[in-house]
Amino acid sequence: MNAFALAWRNLLRQRRRTILMGAVVALGFAAFALAGGFIAQSFAGLKEGTIQSVGQLQVVDRRAVSGTEEKTLEFGLHDGARARAIVARDPAVEAVIPRIDFVGLGTNGARSVPFLGVGVDPEPEAKATLAGDLIVSGRYLSGDGGDGVVLGTGMASALAVKPGDSITLMATTPDATLNAVDATVVGLVDVRIKELNDRYVAIGERLAGRLLQSDGTVSKLVVFLKPDADENRVAQRLEQSLTAAGYPIAVRHWKDLAVFYGQVKLLYIGIFGFVGAVLIVIVILSAAIVMTMAVTERTREIGTLRALGTRPSGIQRMFLTEGVAIALIGCVAGAVLALIIRSALNASGIILPPPPGATHGMPINVEFYPLAYAAGILAMVLTMLVASYFPARRASRISIVEALTHV
Amino acid sequence: MATSAGTEAGGGGRSSAAGAAAPALVAAREVSRFYRLGAAVVPAVRDVSLEVRRGEFVALQGPSGSGKTTLLNLLGLLDRPDQGEIAVAGQDANSLSEDARSDLRRDRFGFVFQTFNLLAVLSAEENVAYPMALAGVAAEERSRRARELLDAVGLQGKYGVRPDLLSGGQRQRVAIARALANRPELVFADEPTANLDSHTADGILDLMREVSESGGVAFLFATHDPRVVARARRVVLLHDGRVESDVAR
Repeated sequence: MNAFALAWRNLLRQRRRTILMGAVVALGFAAFALAGGFIAQSFAGLKEGTIQSVGQLQVVDRRAVSGTEEKTLEFGLHDGARARAIVARDPAVEAVIPRIDFVGLGTNGARSVPFLGVGVDPEPEAKATLAGDLIVSGRYLSGDGGDGVVLGTGMASALAVKPGDSITLMATTPDATLNAVDATVVGLVDVRIKELNDRYVAIGERLAGRLLQSDGTVSKLVVFLKPDADENRVAQRLEQSLTAAGYPIAVRHWKDLAVFYGQVKLLYIGIFGFVGAVLIVIVILSAAIVMTMAVTERTREIGTLRALGTRPSGIQRMFLTEGVAIALIGCVAGAVLALIIRSALNASGIILPPPPGATHGMPINVEFYPLAYAAGILAMVLTMLVASYFPARRASRISIVEALTHV
Repeated sequence: MATSAGTEAGGGGRSSAAGAAAPALVAAREVSRFYRLGAAVVPAVRDVSLEVRRGEFVALQGPSGSGKTTLLNLLGLLDRPDQGEIAVAGQDANSLSEDARSDLRRDRFGFVFQTFNLLAVLSAEENVAYPMALAGVAAEERSRRARELLDAVGLQGKYGVRPDLLSGGQRQRVAIARALANRPELVFADEPTANLDSHTADGILDLMREVSESGGVAFLFATHDPRVVARARRVVLLHDGRVESDVAR
């Protein structure tokens, strides 16, 4: 009879207690698996959204890494088209799109509203990012963008314009003169962050060049990689090839750019880590009480086993095995429970409240995330080992004579 | 056979007769064991010297509180003395680790308890096989020998039965089979007949005597039961923790 078979029979003997403890473990495991799936899904979504917004890599002028521009496009990449072509030649690059960042004033003639503008190459931009999907009215820019402009909903509201209306965009050029172009609103976009919605302006690269009088200069190149591409190696290659071509550039990674991603991730880890720790403490305390009761009830049996020649370590192992067996039983039950709860939650259509600064809530979606289940099993087995350790150690140290006379 | 101070006729004579070259299976040398009862320290066993040799059938007799069980526990390495030495096959057992003492019990001793102390979750066969599993005997051999032992104690066909479905006598037979599982040299039996009716008790004692005579296994009983004493070939009388007499018959 192996240790697990003996543990299994002892657990069956104390059926009610085993069910109770198994239920605690099952709930703990289910919470772990569900939270893990939810977090993983959130992180994956956040990462995907972040990459769709800022790309996996960004090529910028070295000065832009630590400096702040005092003039428009002060740290821009001249002859952005050539740099873009060099980047596009890398076999791991899926798409490379230029961005021209600028600020200015938008006016409908009666009212002026400051904006944060971005000049884009419309079609690659729409293809590589969510830009086109976020349109709530009208359409996204097409072709080279012409004189079209896409406004954030808040910006359009402040200017009281709709698709088809005309506005004037004013900005300072690199040589610090004020310039203006007329543009036609082609669409309204909800970028899901309220503050940005109130200031968002997107125009074609060519119109931006006219407004800023800086043909060919871009603020950055946003690079999207093919699946499974090694981000670091590509960054290294791009840096080498562009430097060799005379561009004093730096390549930045999406994680460095998405401060929000890092903060949200830390917040999630903090919250769920705390809840997880509380959960584990509850399981440990419950299990320790149950195992202590089991040891007390089976004191005479422990004495017998010791008398027959079982070493103290054998007694300890027996109770630890029972703890592990409960953990495994609980994990199986917990996995079934987690899958049922997951299906129910996903079918419920519950909309989660929007995160701080966002304008839309998201429907709850808990992914089946195998790693969370594997981690749940590991966590519960370790938890039960910790919970069983002290009762098991006590059992192994009981005086044989006292154990044999225990009533 | 060495005896404690105060040993009377019979013990001394037997001691010299048994003074063979082979060391005793187990020997107590001026062993004392004290228990604390509140502030008081109560001696359970005092300066006892005693040896048990191969094939002996010894009864430790005495009134309640005379130290029979305590002495049995000390000789069976279930407890450690406060003073004196316990030697197993000539080797000092006091200085051994718990693991080493466990191994000695497993390999050299068998135990039969008043309340049988069978493992409730195991069948009769599994109970008998358990000490063999501890000794690393292969599963097939364990099963074969366990059944052989159960047959020998008259429990043919009861291999798969759990202890709660066996009578008191049957349980004690399983316990005897278990005690013999690893071919011990010495079986300690603490009031083995106390929970049995007289007919069953007679059967159990006859079985033990037969095992002792046929297999050369020594038995050391702690008992009140006159039936045990009647069958013993040596009776050690304890009183107030001391050996009062040690008589071979």
